[in-house]
Amino acid sequence: MSLATKSQTLAEGPGAVKKAGGGMGPRWAMVIDLAKCVGCDTCTVSCKAENRTPPGVSYNVVLELEEGEFPNVRRVNIPRPCMHCDNPPCVQVCPVGATYKLENGIVAVDYERCLGCRYCITACPYGARSFDFGWNYDEEMLGYSAQQASEYGVPHGRREKGKSPVGNVRKCHFCLHRLERGEEPACVETCLGDARYFGDLNDSESMVSKLVASPRAYRLKEELGTNPRVYYLK
Amino acid sequence: MEKEQGQAPISSYSWQWYGSLGVLVSAGVVGGIYRAWQGLAVTHLSSYTPWGLWVALYIYFVGLSAGAFLLSSLVYVFGQERFERIGRQALWVAVVSMVVALTFILLDLGHMERFWVSLRFWKLTSVLSWEVHFYIVYVVLLLTELYHSMRRDLVLRRQAPGIRGLLARYLTWQDEEISPAAQARDRQHLRRLGMIGIPLAVLGVHGGTGTLFAVVKARPYWNTAVFPIIFVLSALVSGTALLLVGYVLERRRRRLSADLDMVQGLARLMATFILLDLGLEFYEILIPAYSLRSEEMASLKTLFLGSLAPYFWIGQIWLGNITPLILVFSSRTGRSLRALTWAGILVVLGIVAVRINIVLPPLLQPVLPGLPAGAYFPSPVEVITSVGVIALGLLLYTLGNSLLPLEVSEADHKVTDPTRLPDSFPTKAAAIEGVGHGE
Repeated sequence: MSLATKSQTLAEGPGAVKKAGGGMGPRWAMVIDLAKCVGCDTCTVSCKAENRTPPGVSYNVVLELEEGEFPNVRRVNIPRPCMHCDNPPCVQVCPVGATYKLENGIVAVDYERCLGCRYCITACPYGARSFDFGWNYDEEMLGYSAQQASEYGVPHGRREKGKSPVGNVRKCHFCLHRLERGEEPACVETCLGDARYFGDLNDSESMVSKLVASPRAYRLKEELGTNPRVYYLK
Repeated sequence: MEKEQGQAPISSYSWQWYGSLGVLVSAGVVGGIYRAWQGLAVTHLSSYTPWGLWVALYIYFVGLSAGAFLLSSLVYVFGQERFERIGRQALWVAVVSMVVALTFILLDLGHMERFWVSLRFWKLTSVLSWEVHFYIVYVVLLLTELYHSMRRDLVLRRQAPGIRGLLARYLTWQDEEISPAAQARDRQHLRRLGMIGIPLAVLGVHGGTGTLFAVVKARPYWNTAVFPIIFVLSALVSGTALLLVGYVLERRRRRLSADLDMVQGLARLMATFILLDLGLEFYEILIPAYSLRSEEMASLKTLFLGSLAPYFWIGQIWLGNITPLILVFSSRTGRSLRALTWAGILVVLGIVAVRINIVLPPLLQPVLPGLPAGAYFPSPVEVITSVGVIALGLLLYTLGNSLLPLEVSEADHKVTDPTRLPDSFPTKAAAIEGVGHGE
């Protein structure tokens, strides 16, 4: 199955990709088993390493919550990537169509079109979007700015002031560039407790299809009608 | 007549005024260049509080514009003669406010050089995209309306010496027609444009700007249907107040007496809008509070007791609402020009707090439990550029006042009744003669 690449989307426009969606390609989804999550933040770190995200930009974070009252408390860790909603509020509000849904369900950002108005950041109910203020890790890491990750399968070259993705809104893209090589997203691959599952909802035999049907499965803020593609197992 | 055409009552603005505005605008330009060079890292914005002072001032000035425009339509559409004196001022204030508002939004973009992209694509689902297009149509409409409201006086000024005459000749081009029929045409244009403008300003420009926030379901504090209506009402409040203040100060500068009846009328109108606004805000607070939902309570707590409490209690409630209401309705101050002007000034400042309290409260709350809470206080660069942009607005307003016939002359003021117009207006020949006398 071929994935919709960024170059394709650019050639045909986001509308074209949407129309082409006939349920033929994969419908990517992620399932996170909270009972297996130990809260080690490996997903957050591997995501930063994979996408070389700058300070202040984290596509994935782990929310550490304490539930109940002493002495009956328990800790819950909720890893939070982008939910890749099927009704994404961020896509609705973007004034220039710089953020859009790919045929495979991934919500992408076109860095070359994004104005950096940050309306999508306010509109995301999951806080999954960050603005790239242009900070870097050059003091901590030799040559950090020399090369950026090839997000969306496109080389972004040197990291420079005023040059995209600096000044843009950035977010998790399920490691689209890895999916195109047949690999899992970095956070899924590195998860210590194997708490994350990734796969195709169009394939009824896939692990994610089966887990999504579990009575343990739920999604964040389901009442908003955003229809997330990230499921949690209680 | 001589007085009007000869520009006798126009005393130029003092060099101190231009000088201080010049200094502030230059400081703003330096701040703006620094911001363009360094990006948004020079602000105190973050991914948790992505909007701040610039966005608050952007909606503030859009509100001033819509309010001023709606007031002008009282004159040009609804024939409210008592406000005739401020009709053109209102249109000019509306234009300048839009320029200021759009400058703020430009400053706020991560990629300022791509602003034109927002005009190239019209994303139907995006309120912001609709807004950008509405703003353009609205400014064009304002300028057309302003031209028709001044056209007769511009034609009369064609012979005037200096830059005013040049500007008049350039603006009117080949059009020297000021027969009663031509003037009736102008009034008709004004009426029609005003009629198109009212829904444009209410639904498109300002209600639309409220809708921008109201559609964001991720932020329950914004996500209410009454939000766009409150926006329009607070626009009317601030627009009326600004015109009142502008009118009184401009008359004072020219050492002319102000029309106390009209000022009182404006003040009462402003007070009525404040009361309506307060009523709506009551429901806007009651209903989320009644829900007892934690995210609603958190926003309300920031507003009432948290970091935004001073803006709310002092800025919005005390300065912006209660004090002006007392000043307008008290029998001791209700007919004092000074007190009413102060009421206007307090409202103009108080609405800034209202705008801050619209943008910030939900952005200081984490959208999911476990995410960090936002924190925000504007950075020096944000403040300097804001002062500079506002000074730019004042400069444009001043230049308009000194170069364009924005003041309705005393002689014309009484004759707004269309049925009386033809015989009381000067013929073109007499008018041109008048210019000669003036010189």
